Amino acid sequence: MKKKILIVGGGTAGTMTANNLANKLMPEIDRGEIEITMISDSKVHVYRPGAMYVAFHKAAGHEFIRDQRSLLMLEVDFIVDKAVEINTKANYIKGASGDRYEYDFLVLATGCQVAADRIPGLQEGGDWFYSYEGAKKLAKKFEKLKSGRVLVTVNFPKTPNIPHQCGIAPVETTMMLHDYLTEKGVRDDVEIVYSYPTKSQAVENGLFLQAPTSEVLPAIFDSIGVKHKTSFTLSKVDPDKKIAYSEEGEKMEFDILMSTPPFIASDVVRKSGLSTALEDEGWLPTDKKTLKVKGLSNVYTLGDTVDLSVSKAGGTIHNQTDVVVDNIAAELRFGYPTESYDGKVIAIAQMGLSCGMPLWYDYEEDVQPTPCSKLGSFVRLGFNKSLYWAAARGML
Amino acid sequence: MSEEIKVKKTAAMQEVEDKMTMLVQTGRLDNLIDVLAVVSDQIEMTTTPIVEKMVHSIDNIASAGFVTENAVRYAKRESAKNEVPSLFGMLKLLKDEETRKGLAFMLHLTKGIGKQM
Ligand SMILES: Cc1cc2nc3c(=O)[nH]c(=O)nc-3n(C[C@H](O)[C@H](O)[C@H](O)COP(=O)(O)OP(=O)(O)OC[C@H]3O[C@@H](n4cnc5c(N)ncnc54)[C@H](O)[C@@H]3O)c2cc1C
Repeated sequence: MKKKILIVGGGTAGTMTANNLANKLMPEIDRGEIEITMISDSKVHVYRPGAMYVAFHKAAGHEFIRDQRSLLMLEVDFIVDKAVEINTKANYIKGASGDRYEYDFLVLATGCQVAADRIPGLQEGGDWFYSYEGAKKLAKKFEKLKSGRVLVTVNFPKTPNIPHQCGIAPVETTMMLHDYLTEKGVRDDVEIVYSYPTKSQAVENGLFLQAPTSEVLPAIFDSIGVKHKTSFTLSKVDPDKKIAYSEEGEKMEFDILMSTPPFIASDVVRKSGLSTALEDEGWLPTDKKTLKVKGLSNVYTLGDTVDLSVSKAGGTIHNQTDVVVDNIAAELRFGYPTESYDGKVIAIAQMGLSCGMPLWYDYEEDVQPTPCSKLGSFVRLGFNKSLYWAAARGML
Repeated sequence: MSEEIKVKKTAAMQEVEDKMTMLVQTGRLDNLIDVLAVVSDQIEMTTTPIVEKMVHSIDNIASAGFVTENAVRYAKRESAKNEVPSLFGMLKLLKDEETRKGLAFMLHLTKGIGKQM
């Protein structure tokens, strides 16, 4: 009997893992011993960070969207279907089509989604660049902006020690906004206020979720005239009066509210009963080393859907995927997993429109902020427009 | 009159001094400075649109490589599984829609090359 590996979700995590598995398990595939299937609810693949560039008119958006089939090796069967039920007792996933997909090994990679409705008024009064539609809306507002205040807010999951999607994105977009408004010649008339909640992950009353970066940010923001405010946990928005209220009892007026909204796991994962996260956020309980869903011997997970403390970022997934792939291959070949994830995250942050900052950290070591550079920005551009697709295809 | 200044060196500063001294003594420093200057000039003269165009070309090559590799692996596997087809078998292969799609692509490709000759 052929062994079945099923991957749910055709985003960064699912695609990298499917292709890396096909590469790794080629001898078994050639011998007809295993099959790899991916189901995803979308025909297309979205490179999510691209939305940041759309918000500042540096891209139109189509550059970052590709046909999912074109990114998968031929050895991966691709089916467009929405998973609606995860049955880990009988080892199958049910699709919205009514089809059942059985598995010997399951990889859950359905990412996370924006849940703006968790903050009253945010949906109507706020904006965000975490989706292409949102980014296009923001771009139009930024284009019209001649004076006033842009307020940056950040919300964290209520489940402790879990980050929002892409931890560095609020800092990146604040710097990009400064450059964009400067290029437009209106920076002097627009106030940018970067705020951060009382509780982030490891930091209280800071400006970032890790201490070393939180400590250097005030000086960086001061040097470009960005105001900064700690201890502002967005709790309510009045969309008509354009006022943001905080849990700490303060309020701030704004012309544009560029928010990092609350995030939750995908509906199918939240309904699965597998999660123990607070407030039905749905993060999957994940073994930080093996990347298995806790308590399930044949289910792996990675990417934005996990309950780990590491960044919900592509630079995380690029390292997690090798662990998942090696472990599944080892289980098939030897009967037990052999690899362990060390929490490594590697990325290049876009610190302004033309400056790139390499960063790396793991479970043990926080990010050490380094100076950004023009060369770093070129490497980031290379990644956005080309290397990402090669990485998704398992070519690097 | 020159002034004497005392500097307390860290271990790291001492290491840099030792290594730089070695580069000066062996006559390599000038070349290294030239290399760094060339690299620096390249970065200075490169613009975002230049990088975009380069990156686009790299992406095209990588995509072509990916498509070709996939097709070659598939063809190898199918060839190993099946016997060499007879003439009639060839025609049967042509009945398959994906085969026709691929063949039509190859013919368009040939025309595309012809147009440039
Ligand atoms: C604005 C922005 C900027 C970012 N910047 C960076 C950055 O600079 N560096 C970095 O490393 N990362 C960055 N990220 C984060 C990075 O994009 C994500 O971490 C990554 O995309 C997560 O991958 P994933 O596969 O877990 O989820 P996704 O890529 O979201 O993929 C999930 C997939 O699952 C599918 N799916 C969902 N539900 C179902 C279902 N029920 N059935 C079937 N399929 C389903 C979806 O269609 C999707 O294809 C950024 C993200 C954003 C939004």
